[in-house]
Amino acid sequence: MKQNEENIENLFEKFGNQQPFRVPENYFETFAERLKVRIGEEEQPHKKRSLFLYLKPALMMAASIAVIGLLVYVPIKKYFPESEGYVSLQQSDKTVTDLQNTISVPLDLISYFTEGQFLYAVTEMKAFEADTLSTKLLGEYIAANYSDFEIIANN
Amino acid sequence: MDLNEKELIANLKSDGNREKAFQQLVKTYQERLYWHIRKIVMNHDDADDILQNVYLKVWKNVDGFREDSSLFTWIFRIATNESLSHLQKQRRHSEVSMNDISDYLSDSLESDVYFDGDEIQKKLQQAIILLPEKQRIVFNMKYFDEIKYEEMSDILQTSVGALKASFHFAVKKIEDYLSKDSK
Repeated sequence: MKQNEENIENLFEKFGNQQPFRVPENYFETFAERLKVRIGEEEQPHKKRSLFLYLKPALMMAASIAVIGLLVYVPIKKYFPESEGYVSLQQSDKTVTDLQNTISVPLDLISYFTEGQFLYAVTEMKAFEADTLSTKLLGEYIAANYSDFEIIANN
Repeated sequence: MDLNEKELIANLKSDGNREKAFQQLVKTYQERLYWHIRKIVMNHDDADDILQNVYLKVWKNVDGFREDSSLFTWIFRIATNESLSHLQKQRRHSEVSMNDISDYLSDSLESDVYFDGDEIQKKLQQAIILLPEKQRIVFNMKYFDEIKYEEMSDILQTSVGALKASFHFAVKKIEDYLSKDSK
């Protein structure tokens, strides 16, 4: 322990105990002011950030959906200006009108069919010449594809 | 804890006087805290950042200060912990290229434009840098700041006996380093 005290005395004698460091000019004079600004900054954006953080998941989800929608919609719109589904609907409407004009089919019977069934029936009918299509043929087709109960129930 | 400190703490915890009391607190301890931090991290810019963080923590947590130690001890403890956390972060960031924090501190010392000492003082600093972390802090607090062991014990939460032993070993290592260097 005595040796240690001598060592400390030697160090003091040789180096002193003054700090060999300095600080920038006016550092301590301006520190309080800079700290005040820092504390103000820390407290202010915290409220804004918390609102943003609150909305962030919803915004991210909305952005993702928009991007996915654009990725799907834009190529389809560009390369298929009229999509298949849209054409078939138009065709079916057109076909119904044409059919109503050319043949006499009870309207309530037509409304009974689903769109697919009706299109199938129309396709079948187109195999015949317009003048060979008769109520009899149509009746046979309906009789072959639907039960009496379904037909009576519809009427 | 004297009357002034009690009043200061009461003001820090009251909404009306808080800002004024905090300014007083900053003015009172800023230099002592700065030099304590600076001796641990060496570099001025790091010391400035850490000092700001320390006061920010005090500002945010003063309501929870339980007053079972003096305000000075509490803030010094925060400053010591913040400084050591900073060194740990540095160690993690440069894990591959640097095994010892003394390399980082040595580089900081070499590049520090605010180092004001001569070559002999630089040698002493190099010797201090090579000490283990705890011994380095104890040596600095005793040798440069002349803090009493009892007060140091409160700040570092270490027994007086252990602090004395740390200081003893630190002095011996520094002497060894300097005597080897002079041969």
